[in-house]
Amino acid sequence: MSDFGGMEDLLQDFLQEAHDLLSDVDNKLVDLEKMPDDRGLLNDIFRGFHTVKGGAGFLNATELVTLCHLTENLFDRLRNGELELTSELMDIIMAATKGVRDMFGELGQMVQPQPAAPEVIAALQGALSGEAHVAAAPADLSPPPASQASAGAGVNSAEPNWAELHSAVTGEVSKQAVPSELITKAETSSIEAAKAPGMVATVVAAEQQPSAFGRRATDRPGGQPTSARRAEERVRENTIRVDTSRLDQVLNLSGEIGLTKNRLTSLRADILAGKNDSETLHALDQAVSQLDLLVSDLQNSVMKTRMQPIGRLFQKYPRIARDLARQLGKDVELVLAGEETEVDKTMIEDLADPLIHLIRNAVDHGVEMPEERQAAGKPIKSLVRLEARQEGDHIVLIIADDGKGMSAERIRAKAIEKGLISEEEANTLDERQSLNLIFLPGFSTKAQISDVSGRGVGMDVVKTNIQKLNGSIDIRSEPGKGSVFIISLPLTLAILPVLLVLLGDQPFALPLSLVREILPIEQNRIQEVGGKETLVVRGEVLPVIALARLLGWPLEREPEYGVFMQTAERSFILAVDSFAGRDDAVIKSLEDFRPKGVAGVTTLSNGQIVLILDMKELLTDLGQHVDIGSAVRSLDFA
Amino acid sequence: MAADPKMRFLVVDDFSTMRRIVRNLLKELGYTNVDEAEDGAIALQKLQAGGFEFVVTDWNMPNMDGLTLLQTIRSTPNLKHLPVLMITAEAKKENIIAAAQAGASGYIVKPFTAGTLSEKLNKIFEKMGLA
Repeated sequence: MSDFGGMEDLLQDFLQEAHDLLSDVDNKLVDLEKMPDDRGLLNDIFRGFHTVKGGAGFLNATELVTLCHLTENLFDRLRNGELELTSELMDIIMAATKGVRDMFGELGQMVQPQPAAPEVIAALQGALSGEAHVAAAPADLSPPPASQASAGAGVNSAEPNWAELHSAVTGEVSKQAVPSELITKAETSSIEAAKAPGMVATVVAAEQQPSAFGRRATDRPGGQPTSARRAEERVRENTIRVDTSRLDQVLNLSGEIGLTKNRLTSLRADILAGKNDSETLHALDQAVSQLDLLVSDLQNSVMKTRMQPIGRLFQKYPRIARDLARQLGKDVELVLAGEETEVDKTMIEDLADPLIHLIRNAVDHGVEMPEERQAAGKPIKSLVRLEARQEGDHIVLIIADDGKGMSAERIRAKAIEKGLISEEEANTLDERQSLNLIFLPGFSTKAQISDVSGRGVGMDVVKTNIQKLNGSIDIRSEPGKGSVFIISLPLTLAILPVLLVLLGDQPFALPLSLVREILPIEQNRIQEVGGKETLVVRGEVLPVIALARLLGWPLEREPEYGVFMQTAERSFILAVDSFAGRDDAVIKSLEDFRPKGVAGVTTLSNGQIVLILDMKELLTDLGQHVDIGSAVRSLDFA
Repeated sequence: MAADPKMRFLVVDDFSTMRRIVRNLLKELGYTNVDEAEDGAIALQKLQAGGFEFVVTDWNMPNMDGLTLLQTIRSTPNLKHLPVLMITAEAKKENIIAAAQAGASGYIVKPFTAGTLSEKLNKIFEKMGLA
């Protein structure tokens, strides 16, 4: 059920545009703290709220209109120099901005927003009437509902009579002075009508208008508790904004492909008619090569339409960092770089949470308190840098702070204390491996998970999320100087370079990103260590795991080749019979039917369907039989 | 109904959702010949190129706001007769006076319906003698 029957498109457009506007406002608010008297900034922020208010009115989002209106008025007073921007006022503004964002969330659920928190409204009204200090006071200062309603009604209930004013100013006599009076009343929209019980005439006039698009959330039949809906039920945006020049390129290429197809059709006719002289075959060869080129160009172009500047995601972080720093009594500036770097849209969405977590972590755990910094001879203001850049076919994200850094020694001690690793294991770890211990589930450097960066999840979740995107995360840290988190991601998730290995005649695809090298397996070099087969490669002892065994297949012959694979947790040799080469696999997911250990399927050039293996999942079931056999058999129709 | 449904409108607003709303409402009233501009400066360029018969503009915009656009239209010989309907979120008296003084043909407060827009347009058409 939706509160916006027939207006969903409009709502989507509004939300997309309004979200951008609000992010812009957020950034300008951060700037404003540095330059509280900047007229241009005040003006821009004013206009942001003003514009959202205007659009919200058409969606009948009354509560959003009210909140924006109050905030806008505040900025009107600020830009006219009638109010001074204090830090209390800034907090009220931030709270109001958050309220607006929450309402966008509700609209995204196709529900009319609930009224803003009464204390926010009260604080805004207090600030407008010159009592900025009420901000610090809690909810009990909230006004009775009636005064809230009147604030909303005040938005534009008393519209002056245009005709009268116009003629008064211009000296013209309006031709229809009497009806214009009525028209003016009818103009007063249903919003005010609902809120101003005294104006009976207006209510009647407004009801005759074909306006009420939306209903209030509270009107929903059998309405479930709205607080539940307010809770983070984030819906994925399924629209995307694409530069038209990119779409033109796609169009161009599909046109070219059409032409090449025509050429092939005519060549087919020739060949079927028995014409197979060298000229015809040469033409065929050329047409096919051209098609090859065009198709890969097309794939790239289509991929590009999914690419979005990561700045869209970065935008909201300075605000988050600032809020958190204030809360903790720290002085932190989040510096952004490489916002124009383009990343696949899906990936941007999935990166949002891990990045927030890392930024919170940097501000909370990385950066010291001002006194500590001063004592250490550092500038009081600390810098957290969030940077994105493309390196070859990878996207690299960096979150760096100039805080106290991490001590490998202490992390090792902590991990032992928590029973995550044994003392012997700890002794074998180098510095980098030690730092990476913080990604272990159950590891948290503070004895208690802090409210701010804790949120009930640890760094292990960050790592898992990054790995889900086929990415990796690494840490460097220097005690006293700061820490750097480096995330490396593939450019896109849609195409996966794979290595095709054979087991008997059956090919399987392995993600190429995990493959370090391929080596022949000589049986006499395999050593048994603790009952397990191992192979020494350049001094490194690696377990040898037969793919057949992982899949629960009988080991019919000795594997001839080993694939040296490296996942985040371990390195090992995967023993296979042979190879079929490498390929760029377009992953098709197996919906409703996903055997463990299978990431998806892809089609080979000869039309054969191949399973793409999820090594991590396969390895977690090491020893247990995974029933891939049936998955393969059910694909035999191909 | 009076005015020519082929009448060419220019809708000026920096918020594309709003341009779309106004365009849809005009379409509902039968006016399909509509072009858009993102602010006063762009609007002016389009108007100079000619062919427009009606301007519907927002007030608060970056670069050139609606009031400045209106003033510029009124002081440009080949544009000054264009009807201009001002859209705004506010119904403040001083705004309306400013619009009237600058020579606005009409004034409409957000949010509005196709019905309200139609009434506003018809009043302007009447004044222009198109009714």
